[in-house]
Amino acid sequence: MPGPYTANAFTLAPASPQAAAISNLFVGTLIFLSAILILVSFLVIYAVIRYRDRPGAPDPEQKFGSRKLEITWTVVPILSLVVLSGFMVRAMSASDPPTAEAKPDLRIVAHQWWWEIIYLKSGVTTANEIHIPVGKRLLVDFRSVDVIHDFWVPALGRKIDIIPGHPNRLWIEADNGGTYLGACAEFCGNEHAWMRIMVIADSPDDFAAWVKQQAGIPPKPVTADEQLGEKIYRENICTNCHLRSVGPDLTHIASRRTLAAGALENTPENLAAWLHDPDDFKPGSNMPNFKLSPGDVRALVAFLETQK
Amino acid sequence: MKDAAVPEALGGESFELEASEGWLSWVSSVDHKQLGIMYLLGAFVFFLVAGVLALLMRIQLAVPNNNFLSPQVYNQFFTMHGTTMIFLVVVPLLVGFATYMVPLMIGARDMAFPRLNALSFWVQIFGGLMLYFSFATSGVNGGAPAAGWFSYAPLSETAYSYGPGVDYWILGLLGIGVGTLTAGINLMATIISMRAPGMSIRRLPLFVWMTLITGFLIVVVMPILNAGLVMLLADRLLNAHFFRADTGGSAVLWQHVFWAFGHPEVYIMVLPAFGIISEVIPVFSGKPIYGYDFVAASTLAIAFLSLTVWAHHMFAVGLGHPFDLFFAICSMAISVPTGIKIFNWTATMYQGRVRFTTAMLFAVAFLLMFTIGGLSGVAFAVVPIDWQLTDSYFVVAHFHYVLFGGTALALFAGVYYWFPKITGRMLDERWGKVNFWLTFIGFNLTFMIQHVLGMLGMPRRVFTYPALPGWEAMNMISTIGAFVLAFAVLTLMINIAISLRSGKIAGDNPWDAWTLEWATTSPPPPENFTRVPPIRGRRPLWDLAHPDRTDEMITKLAG
Amino acid sequence: MIEKTMPDKTKVGVGLFLFSEAWFFLILLITYAFFRSRPADGPSAANSLNVMRTLVFSICLFLSSATIHLAARSFRMGDRSGVSRWLALTVALGAIFLFGQTREYLGLFAHSVTISTNLFGSTFFTLTGFHGLHVLMGLVALGALLGIAMSGRLGAIKPSGFESVAMYWHFVDAVWVVIFTVVYLWPLIA
Repeated sequence: MPGPYTANAFTLAPASPQAAAISNLFVGTLIFLSAILILVSFLVIYAVIRYRDRPGAPDPEQKFGSRKLEITWTVVPILSLVVLSGFMVRAMSASDPPTAEAKPDLRIVAHQWWWEIIYLKSGVTTANEIHIPVGKRLLVDFRSVDVIHDFWVPALGRKIDIIPGHPNRLWIEADNGGTYLGACAEFCGNEHAWMRIMVIADSPDDFAAWVKQQAGIPPKPVTADEQLGEKIYRENICTNCHLRSVGPDLTHIASRRTLAAGALENTPENLAAWLHDPDDFKPGSNMPNFKLSPGDVRALVAFLETQK
Repeated sequence: MKDAAVPEALGGESFELEASEGWLSWVSSVDHKQLGIMYLLGAFVFFLVAGVLALLMRIQLAVPNNNFLSPQVYNQFFTMHGTTMIFLVVVPLLVGFATYMVPLMIGARDMAFPRLNALSFWVQIFGGLMLYFSFATSGVNGGAPAAGWFSYAPLSETAYSYGPGVDYWILGLLGIGVGTLTAGINLMATIISMRAPGMSIRRLPLFVWMTLITGFLIVVVMPILNAGLVMLLADRLLNAHFFRADTGGSAVLWQHVFWAFGHPEVYIMVLPAFGIISEVIPVFSGKPIYGYDFVAASTLAIAFLSLTVWAHHMFAVGLGHPFDLFFAICSMAISVPTGIKIFNWTATMYQGRVRFTTAMLFAVAFLLMFTIGGLSGVAFAVVPIDWQLTDSYFVVAHFHYVLFGGTALALFAGVYYWFPKITGRMLDERWGKVNFWLTFIGFNLTFMIQHVLGMLGMPRRVFTYPALPGWEAMNMISTIGAFVLAFAVLTLMINIAISLRSGKIAGDNPWDAWTLEWATTSPPPPENFTRVPPIRGRRPLWDLAHPDRTDEMITKLAG
Repeated sequence: MIEKTMPDKTKVGVGLFLFSEAWFFLILLITYAFFRSRPADGPSAANSLNVMRTLVFSICLFLSSATIHLAARSFRMGDRSGVSRWLALTVALGAIFLFGQTREYLGLFAHSVTISTNLFGSTFFTLTGFHGLHVLMGLVALGALLGIAMSGRLGAIKPSGFESVAMYWHFVDAVWVVIFTVVYLWPLIA
């Protein structure tokens, strides 16, 4: 299963001020911890070489300790940790600015195993693929309809649990345009591995255009196949799930890059294969196998491909 | 055999000497030495099972988009791997060594409650069997529990885990928990009440001291787990609402209760290992432990602090920065007493005469590997770093470094150190070196790279992953390492097999060690000692062998 | 050399066991208090429990601590009939408590208040239910002691054994003091 997986999923390549705050702290901490490791390793390796048992080695002196040393290696670590804590407090505010006063821009609702995204001002509803404008901070309000999930896009910042009954909020922004990959990071059941996240940062103009397109009504089906597909879609209970947030909203599905929350690249072939048997790609996902005939599948794909 | 009366000082009751022949006599045994061996054997069997689960998982993860294991099966495997390793391997191995060695080290003839001792073991085994019975449940909802070893609600509730798997997890853990709790009580009562004359608390071998503190943690936190388990069971079977957010319950409450148990549990899994290291390093350096009082006191500090840090597992929950800060500070603080130990163990080797027996190799490797694991733990105490790296492969690397690079290596050291005492024969040192190096290499190959995978954004508990740059190669390296590690375990089993048959006869004290277990035959007689040597210091056998410069005299001279 | 006598292992063991049980009840209590502090509708302690009636059979339980204390004293003095008398009274008082609790439970069930009704139901029945189970186990142990005492073989009971059962019973009582305060008295104060 190929995918557009060339984008960034790296904790140390920050693409937002929040991620940068954490990344700087992380690098500093790593240096500090590595220094300790090197020191301890040196002390241990030196000891086992220098004081190894060999012919002529002197009888070891039976020493029991040194209070001075104990105090040293108690106080020095405490002082270093105090310093580390100072940096930590600063980075906590920088990487997780307060969210209480502002009004949310986005609501992201986590489902087993897909993401529902609602743009609160425009009312645009989409699934799995999140668009944000470059350089602007958006406040996201997270909800879960079932179990605990977690939203994690390493390049953009911290992860945050999405817990039913415990709403959480997070500021999200990107410094530069691009595609930022992430994943659900709290085990949420069978298809936790394929509950991936894609955040696309558009220029402000592109973002506005995207919102407009998503808010609009998709083109009407024209060919016979497309019309048949639409008929099947509405009459075959697809809309029962896909228009009621049980399954992802498909209104503009043809405009997205992946299917099934990152399990598949969004191509007509893949869409056909998915409709033929979802369990081939995401076993245990809540989409049943409707045992559609090849003709029906072709029609549905034709229809869905018009939904840009 | 016949009844025998025992002198008051050694326990005072009459008892029956159990027949030491025949399998059936082991089943009914209440002798701490036999039970200790049974703990070790039972735990080792579970270790092999959980290890095979891990190998199968690593095969699935060797390449991206793999379908060697279905997600349902993979999720059962990682749940059972974690649950087994923690409850049925590490804790019973440590309890097993303690059960065997603690009475000997304090000059007692058995534990405080021999029959309770047997109950502890068998209940634990029964709990383990019940847990594994879940694999045999059939149907589309059957199978082992698949909600992870900490079973977060609401995933572990009936609505999202409809099969009996989680019920078996709960009942199995309740059984295992009874075993662990009673073992903790028994060990504490033994150490408090059954010490031979002269063995004051301040003269306790550090393994015994650490076991005492561990017993205290067990007594406090197993009931916390039990409370959580019965509440989850009530939710699942009686339709209660404790952790069901949709009906007024709290999913976060489960996390608080579980981690209030879960964090001290990891110290339960490491303190006795610290005890083993505290015995092995001095003996093979030829000097007493450096800073005994500080090593002992720092253990108290760790135990106390371990009860205050649980919510560092919940930094991503969004409980508010002040809340996170408190737990971060406590978590950072706990690294100080831990560091004190590392420094004292290292200082013990200075100006010593280091003998590179296999036990010592494992102990020295422990110092380095546990330091790595401990330092990555400090990284997690830094809240924003945790916000990035929790629930990723970085944390999988961290806990395997402390649990394998730490506890398991210490256990291997304990095996090589005490095998002669338990069996009367030495383990082969050549196979030992092969075992050691394969273990060291395999372990690091498996887990070091996982730090990078975590930093690259790979979440944990995923049955597969997309072909992102670097992910495939790193996962493959990790899988190869796992198989090297499996091979290493094989060499240990070979070593044990051939040494049992034809290993060198050990004698009472093959290592020239100083604690009381070495003052009797290998293996010890049923009553442990024909005569307990006089105890006037922390190293009775050193004092016996050096009457002109006992520890007391040296201390006085040093002023 | 004068040796300090080691602490009695049975007392240490039972003490540690009770210490561990305390933590079990503490978590259930904290859970009860936590959910009580959240706004909720439906049955609650304030509208579903009869404090006076529970107080009556609670007093019986509290009195049983006194009676077992007297039983222990009789035991130490070797007074077999005293032991039997006070143990029997302890068992009777404990049984009255359990009987009262059973009646309370049945009354609640009749009003559709069960463990699955709401969080009050879940926490109330779990907390008091486990306490009741502990009382029951205590009654079994007391019954065993009573049986041995009545059969005349007081000497078959080890002093540390009798003390242990007494310690357990006091513990069960002490836990009820806390539960009664938190569950029954708190709505009257708040």
